Amino acid sequence: MNRARSTLWMLAALGGAGVVATYFLEGPKRFWENWLLWFVFLACIALGALFLVALQHLTGATWSVVLRRVPERIAALTPWLVPVGLIALFSLPVVFSWAQPGADKITPIVLKAHWLNYPFFIIRLVVCLALWVLSYAILVRGSIKQDSSRDPTITVKLRRYSPVFMIILALTITVFAFDWVSSLEATWYSDIFGVYLFAGATTTAIAVTLLAVIYLQSRGRLPDVTADHLYNLGGLLFGFTIFWGYIAFSQYLLQWYADLPAEVFWFRQRTVGSMEPVFILLGLGHFFVPFFALMTRSNKKNRKRLRWVAMWVVFMGFVDVFWLISPIIGQGVHLGWPELAFAVFFLASGLLVVGRAMSRGEDTPIGDPFLPDALEFQLR
Amino acid sequence: MRDRVFGVLGLFKSGDALLEAVPRLKDKGFTQLEAYTPYPVHGLDEALGLPPSRVGVLVFIMALVGGLSAFGLEWWTSTVSYPLLTAGKAYNGWPGWIPVVFEATILFGTFTAGLGTLFVFNKLPFFGDPVFGTKATLDIGRDRFALVVLSADGSLDAPAASAALSAVGGEAIEVVPLPDRPKAGIGWWMKVVIGIAAACVVAGFGVAWAVRTMPTAKPWVAMEVQPKLDAQQADSFFANGRGMRRPPPGTVARAYMPILAKDPEQAGKALVDPLPVTARVLDRGQEMFNLHCAVCHDKLGTGKAWLSKRYKAQPANLQSSMMRQATDGALYWVISKGYGTMPGYAADVSQDDRWAIVRYVRALQRSEDAPTRDEVGARSPQPGQRFARSQPHPPSPATPN
Repeated sequence: MNRARSTLWMLAALGGAGVVATYFLEGPKRFWENWLLWFVFLACIALGALFLVALQHLTGATWSVVLRRVPERIAALTPWLVPVGLIALFSLPVVFSWAQPGADKITPIVLKAHWLNYPFFIIRLVVCLALWVLSYAILVRGSIKQDSSRDPTITVKLRRYSPVFMIILALTITVFAFDWVSSLEATWYSDIFGVYLFAGATTTAIAVTLLAVIYLQSRGRLPDVTADHLYNLGGLLFGFTIFWGYIAFSQYLLQWYADLPAEVFWFRQRTVGSMEPVFILLGLGHFFVPFFALMTRSNKKNRKRLRWVAMWVVFMGFVDVFWLISPIIGQGVHLGWPELAFAVFFLASGLLVVGRAMSRGEDTPIGDPFLPDALEFQLR
Repeated sequence: MRDRVFGVLGLFKSGDALLEAVPRLKDKGFTQLEAYTPYPVHGLDEALGLPPSRVGVLVFIMALVGGLSAFGLEWWTSTVSYPLLTAGKAYNGWPGWIPVVFEATILFGTFTAGLGTLFVFNKLPFFGDPVFGTKATLDIGRDRFALVVLSADGSLDAPAASAALSAVGGEAIEVVPLPDRPKAGIGWWMKVVIGIAAACVVAGFGVAWAVRTMPTAKPWVAMEVQPKLDAQQADSFFANGRGMRRPPPGTVARAYMPILAKDPEQAGKALVDPLPVTARVLDRGQEMFNLHCAVCHDKLGTGKAWLSKRYKAQPANLQSSMMRQATDGALYWVISKGYGTMPGYAADVSQDDRWAIVRYVRALQRSEDAPTRDEVGARSPQPGQRFARSQPHPPSPATPN
C-alpha cells in the first residue's frame, strides 16, 4: 500500500465519519439529499464512461483504442454503485415527494401512482443496477481477457454487444433520471429529462477521462497517447458540451414558454434567491466557458490547457447535479461541513475504487487488433 | 503564353520520397513549393510550411456577426422600436429569441465556410488549376506524388529548377505553363445566372411534382388529430349533422355578455363599470392600453402617436373635453364595437380588460389635469413611491360605482 493510497483511505475514513455525523447532527433530510447527489453524480460518471467504451466499439473507432483502458477503468465505479444505490433506497420516505404522507391526495401524483410505488421503484433500481454491472462485466472484463489471449473474436463480440448496450443505456438512464431526480418533485413533468441527464453524464465522463489520461501521462504512463489523440478527446468534449447546452436550453425554453404552473415551479425553485447565481454559473460555466475554451485547435492539443478545461467541466458536472438535487430540502443554497464531508468521502472512495482498477490488465489494450491503427493515428 | 511559367513539376513514387525531397529543394533555394497527392500525406503541411487555414477564423467571426445581428434584430424590433408583449412574457423576452439566434449563427457560419472556401480560397469563378493540364495529372490521380517548384513572381529559372528536381529524385520533369485565364465578362455572368435560374426552376417543379404524386407520411399527428370538434366541422352525433351548437335559449357564455345598446349614448345609460377599485385593475388597464390602444391614441391618450403621422385618419384625443365628459359605458361601447375607422376590440380584448382600459383612460385624463388636492397634503406619496400602488385612486366623479 503506497502513500497516496493510505492518504485516500484516511480521507475516506474521515469523510465517512462526517457523513455519519451529518445524519445525527443535521438530520436525515440533509443526509439523504447529499447521498442522492453523490449517487447520481457517480452514476453519471460510471455510465458516461461505459457509454464511451461502447461508443468506440459501436462506431468502430480505431484512434481511441490506445486510451480505451482509461474509460474502462473509470467504469469500475459501476459495481460500487450497487451498495450506494441500495442504501439510497432508505431515502424514499424522507425526501421523495410521492412517498410523503398526504401524497395520495395530490392529483398528479395519484395519476403516476402505478409507476411511483415502493415495490416497482425498488424493482426498477435493482434491474438497472444489474444491467449496468452485467454490461460492465461484458464490456470491460472481455477487453482485459484479450490482453493475454490476444483473441480478435473478443473485439467482434464487443462490437456486437455495444448496440445492445446502447439500447439498455438509453432506457435505464431515462428510468434512472425520472426515478432518482425527477420524482423527488413528483408533480413535475419533463419528457426530455432523461436525455438531459445523459448529456451531462457523457460530458462529465469525457472530462474525467481526459483528466485521467493527462494525470497518467504526467506519471510516465500511457506514452503512446499523442497530442492528436488528446485533440480528438477534446473534440468529443466540445461536441458533447454543445449537446448538453442544446438539451438544457430546449428543456428550459419549452417550460419557460408554456409557463404552466405544473412545470415552472421546478425552475422557480432553482432560479430565485441564492440559487440564482448557481443557475447563471451553470449556464455560463457548463456551456460558454468550455465552448470557447475548446474551440481552437491549439487549445485541444495543449495538455495544460486541456487539463484546466477538463477540471472545470467536471466541476460544472457536479454543479449541474447539485443544481438538480439540492433544492429538494428547501429554498436556497445549502453548503456547509456536511457537503464537504460527503465530497471527501465519495471522492476518496471513488478514487480508491478507480485506483484499484488501474492495476487490472495492461495500460493499453495490447490484444486489440486495431491497436496498430491507433498508434499510427495522426491528424495531418 | 509561352514565356509565362506556372512552375516546374516532378513526380515521386511515394509520399515519403516527396517528404524527403521538400527540405532538400529548400536547401537549394527553391522555397516556393506546392504538392499534389492522391491522398493526404501526414506531415506535408508542416514540411511545406503552409500557414494554418484561415477558414476557421473567418467562420468564427461571421458566425458571431450572424448571432449578434439576429439577437440585435429581435431586440430592436420587439423591445425598442415596437415594444410588444408576446405570449404574456415580459418585454425583452430573450429566451424565445435563442432558436433564431442559433439558426442565424449556423447560417452565417456555414455560408461563410462554403462560399468563402469556394470564392476566396478556391478562386472561383476560375475552375481548375494549371497542373490539371499537364501529362502528370492522370498519374497524380492514381499513384504518383507531384511536387511543383512555383514561379511566384514569374522569374523562375526553369532549367535550374528541372535539374534540382531530378537531383532530389523527381521523375517525368515537366514545365507547367501558366494558361491564360478567361476574363469573367458579362456573357460569362449571364450564363451563370441563367444556369442558376434553370436549376431553381427544375428543382422547384421537381419538388412540386414529388409532393403531389408521392404519399407523405406523417410521423406525429397528436397535435392535428384531437378528440374535439373544430369550428364548422361536421359530426354525425348531432341530429342536424353539425358540430357547432347554439347556446341554450336564455343563456349567456361566461365573460361574453352581449352588448345590446345600439349606440354609445344608449350604452352610457345602460352599462356600469363592474370592476373593483384596486391598483391591480389600473395596472392591467395600463398594460392592455399600452398594448392595444397606445399605437394610435398615444401612451398619454393625446391621439398623436407616431402611427397617425403616416395614417390619414386622426385618432380621437382622449384628453379632449368631449372624451372627459363621455360616460364609462360609452367608452366601453366604442372599445367593444369600434367607431369610425377604429375597429371593435371585443374579439381581441376580454370583457374585464376592456373595462380596465376604460378605468385607465380615466386615470390618464386625471393625470393630465390633476386637481391640486392630488399633489399636496398629508397623503402625498414619498419620492419614488408609486401613488397608484400605495394609495388607490379614489373613484373619479364620472365613475358611477
